[in-house]
Parts: sequence; structure tokens; C-alpha cells
Amino acid sequence: MIDMISLAPLGQADFWLGVGVVAGIYSIFTLGLQLNVGLTGIVNLGQAGFMAIGAYAMAILIVTYHWPPWLALPAATFVAMLAGVVVALPSVRLRGDYLAMTTLAAAEIVQNVAQNAIGLTGGNNGLLGFDAAWQTIQVWMLGVLSAVGLGNEDQIPLFLVVWLTFGIIMLILVALQHTPWGRVLRAIREDEDAAGALGKNAYAYKVQSMALAAGIGAIAGYLLALNVTLIYPGTYSADFTFIGFAILVLGGLGRFAGVALGSILLWFVLEATRFVDLPLAADQVAALRLLIVGLVLILVMVLRPQGIAGKREEMVLRG
Amino acid sequence: MADPIFVVRALVKSFGGLRAVDEASFDVSPASITALIGPNGAGKTTLFNLATGFIKPDRGSIEFDGESIFGRPPFAVARLGMMRTFQITKALTAMTVLENMMLAADDQPGERILGLVTHPFSWVPKERAVRERAMELLERFGLVALADAYAGILSGGQRKLLEFARLLMAKPRMVLLDEPLAGVNAVLGQQILAHMHALRSEQSLTFLFIEHDMEVVMNNADRVIVMALGRVIASGLPDEVRRDQAVIDAYLGAHGENVA
Repeated sequence: MIDMISLAPLGQADFWLGVGVVAGIYSIFTLGLQLNVGLTGIVNLGQAGFMAIGAYAMAILIVTYHWPPWLALPAATFVAMLAGVVVALPSVRLRGDYLAMTTLAAAEIVQNVAQNAIGLTGGNNGLLGFDAAWQTIQVWMLGVLSAVGLGNEDQIPLFLVVWLTFGIIMLILVALQHTPWGRVLRAIREDEDAAGALGKNAYAYKVQSMALAAGIGAIAGYLLALNVTLIYPGTYSADFTFIGFAILVLGGLGRFAGVALGSILLWFVLEATRFVDLPLAADQVAALRLLIVGLVLILVMVLRPQGIAGKREEMVLRG
Repeated sequence: MADPIFVVRALVKSFGGLRAVDEASFDVSPASITALIGPNGAGKTTLFNLATGFIKPDRGSIEFDGESIFGRPPFAVARLGMMRTFQITKALTAMTVLENMMLAADDQPGERILGLVTHPFSWVPKERAVRERAMELLERFGLVALADAYAGILSGGQRKLLEFARLLMAKPRMVLLDEPLAGVNAVLGQQILAHMHALRSEQSLTFLFIEHDMEVVMNNADRVIVMALGRVIASGLPDEVRRDQAVIDAYLGAHGENVA
């Protein structure tokens, strides 16, 4: 019958590093969503679009215009944040579902442009060769790692950079959350009218929140580009945003550290289920994996509706 | 009499075919306590919403302290110094009572993201000052024991007190209270009225409040504005209004039993 699970890969460092890199990139991506959804109450379904804009801007500046990476990265982040402002300006006045639809549409537009503006983006062939500087850094890091006997694990450098980046962004966001600025965002999340009655310009805060989230999305986009070494439209499909939302719900709304827990859990389940040996076609197995992720989501919602790291009081008392 | 602080002229707002506010005109004097009364559906809350920017007026004029606030967004009206409470309170329930208070401070540079960068060291001591002022106001309003509780656990009356105390953090010059005594027990109600009188005499704060209890209005208001069917049908001293034939016809006559 079923050829039980072969658990051998779970004991290998490669497996864990691979899961760690992807989970880390999704964690960074979802930090932006957490800022919008968990802290400001903006349902941003367009985060994958900002990620794509950042990554493409970075690759185009480096490959086409030969900018040095240290200049291209901040410039591309700025471009993504500007895109965040452009999308936010007309849309954050909308409430709930309407805002969600508008941001989703914006991400679709980005993907269509990426596919069709071939002169700029390379269309479906994508862009290559933006990571020369990274290759050099990677070789150097592996050299250092070989001194401690880890020179063969070539995923370690990206793993370290990804989680270091996550840590820095998370600390900044946690600090921001505890400033008066963060307090206004939380008030807007709860009741925009109350915030307005107290003299807070909710519109301006929402635009800022979207711009920051877009910048964070762009950073996740660079790291994803380094992981897959090719930027093409499929790399940054809108599905990314929905996986981000699953991570958000798993980890707990409003808790930045919860994002990492949610992401690791989700990617562990997704990747570990690869090794289940079933008499099924590949596409059936793929569907089954998502099914299992769905079950995990339902389980968490039943047992811990506030998410792994969420605060129950805030969920119950809100609204 | 001093120049009025709040002037409304020929204000109109229609919802479809219904004129919720119909050519309403009135003045409010500074440092006064003015009651806005009228039967249900008279347009009182709509008038508050128009004045504070929550609904866009169709035409007419609204001036606060000599400046037009016609059609301005709520945050801009609040920053000019005219603030309001809501009939159904808007306590931020998943934030603590103290956070609710501190949020309302009007002079915290750390509230702007650029301010965090340009004033990296001044917002932290400012936060301490804001907390201190918040605790003083909570003390005054008898909520200090609840400072660290989530606002969501407060009773209806306590939420009214919190909403009142909270807007004082922003140092308004005029306060619109939408049924501050509705659903509040008699003791708390008396406290709210006492706070109004004290703040008016200490800080020359101007109050406009909507109230249905005629005894409260007669005993506490300097002047009374009466609305019916979207129009201002009378305004004046409580005793004048009580004897006004238009008011008796439109309001007291029809609903006399509510008014005793």
C-alpha cells in the first residue's frame, strides 16, 4: 500500500537550510504584511507586486544600467516605496474589501507589465546576471565557513544573510510599534473615526504604512532573486501574498516575531510533505501538500485562534 | 456678549430626498454650556457630524473661532480645537485606558515618522510628560485604577468618561458631546455634568451637548438650541425656550410626556 514516509531527508542539513532560506524570505515578506494588516488594518493583497517592483528595479539597474549594487539596492527600495505610495494614494481611502481588490489589481498589473514589457524586463525569459557581487560575497563567506568545517554547505551564506536581515527589520518594526507613531497605527486599525476625531490624519498614516511595507517587500524580493538566481514574472506571482496571509494568521496578527514561527511551520509542512511517497501523480501530490497546509491552518485556528504568538485579549476585545 | 466661537449659517444636508439639516443657523458663545435639543430625527447628530467633518455638508457655512471649517476632514477640525464625543462611544477597546489617553496628546513629535528621525531624543521625555498628564486626567475622572486595563472591559458609563477625558488630552477649545448622559447611571451623569462646569470655569472651555432630559438641560445649560425636522426652530435662554410657542408645538406638545 502506501510506502511509508521516508524520513531520511529530515535528518539532512541541506533540507533544513533549504526550508530555512525560503521560510526566512517569506518571513521578511510577511513582516511588511504584518505592518499593514496586523498593525494598521489595511488589507494589502498587492504585496507580491511591490516585491516584484523592487526586484526588477534592482536587476534592471544592475544588469541594464550597470549600477553598482550598493547604489542599486537603495534606489530599487526607493522605487518600490514610491510604488507603494502611488498605489496607496487613491486606494487607502477605500475600506475593507474594496481596498483589498484594488491592491490585488495593482499586483496583477505589475505582473502583466513584467511579462509584456520585454525590452525592460526580458518578458518570460526574465533577467539574469544581477548577482555577480553576491557570488563573490558567497565565495568569501564559504571560505570563512570552511575554517569551521562548514565549507560544503553552500546554502549557509544566504541562510545567514536572510535571517540577519529578518532580525534587523523585525527589531526596527518592533521598536516602531512602541513609538507614538505605532500607537496611532494601532488606533487606526481599531477605529479610524476615533483616530480622526482625535486629530490623527489616518490617510497619511496608511500611506506611510503601505510605503514601508512595499520597501520591506522589495528587500524580500532581492533575497528571493538571489535564491533562485533568475528574475521572471512567475517568481513574484500574486500567490505569494496569499501564502503571506496564511503565515500571518498562523503566527498571530500584530506580533512581528510570530511571522517567523508561522513561516517556519508552514514551510516545514510544505517541504516535509514532499517526502511522503504516495502512489499519486505529481500534480496530485502538489494539491495534497496544500491540503495538508490547509488542515494545519484549520487546526491552529481551532486550538489557538489568535495564532501561535497572538494575544487573545486583543483579538476578543477588538471591535 | 463676546463674539461667538461657533457660527453656523443656512447649513443644508440632504440624504436622498430627506433634508436632515435644513437651513440651520445658530451661534454658540465662548465659554458657554449650550444644549442642543429636539425630538428624535431632528438632525442633532447629523449637525455634529457636519461640524466635525464626518459628513460633508451640501451648502451653508460653518465657522469655528473665525475660521471656516466647512467640509474639512475630522482630523483638521479636531486640530483646530473643536473636538467631539460619539453617541455610541468609540473607546479603542484593544488598547489600554492609558494608551487611549496618551494617543490623544496633540503635541507628541514622535507621532510623525519623520519626527522620530528628526527628534530622536525629544519624543521619549515628551512621552513621559504625556503619560503624567494622562494620569492626572485619569485621576480627575476617577479612572486611574483602570489605567492599565484594556478599554474593552470598561462599562458604558466608564467609556463615556474615558472618551471625555481622552479628548481633553488634545487641549480643545470647544467640545461637542453627543448624549453624554445616555445610558449612564445617575451618579456618573452628575460627575460628567460637574466636569463640564468645572472645565468651563477653569479653562473657558465651550460646550455644546445633545441631551434629551429636559431637567438636565434646564439646570445646566446657559443657552438652548432647539431643532425639529432639520431646522433650528428656537434658541435662547432655557426659560425663553421653554415658553416658546414653536417649541411647544413642534416638540414639547407632541412629546410632552418625555419631557417632564
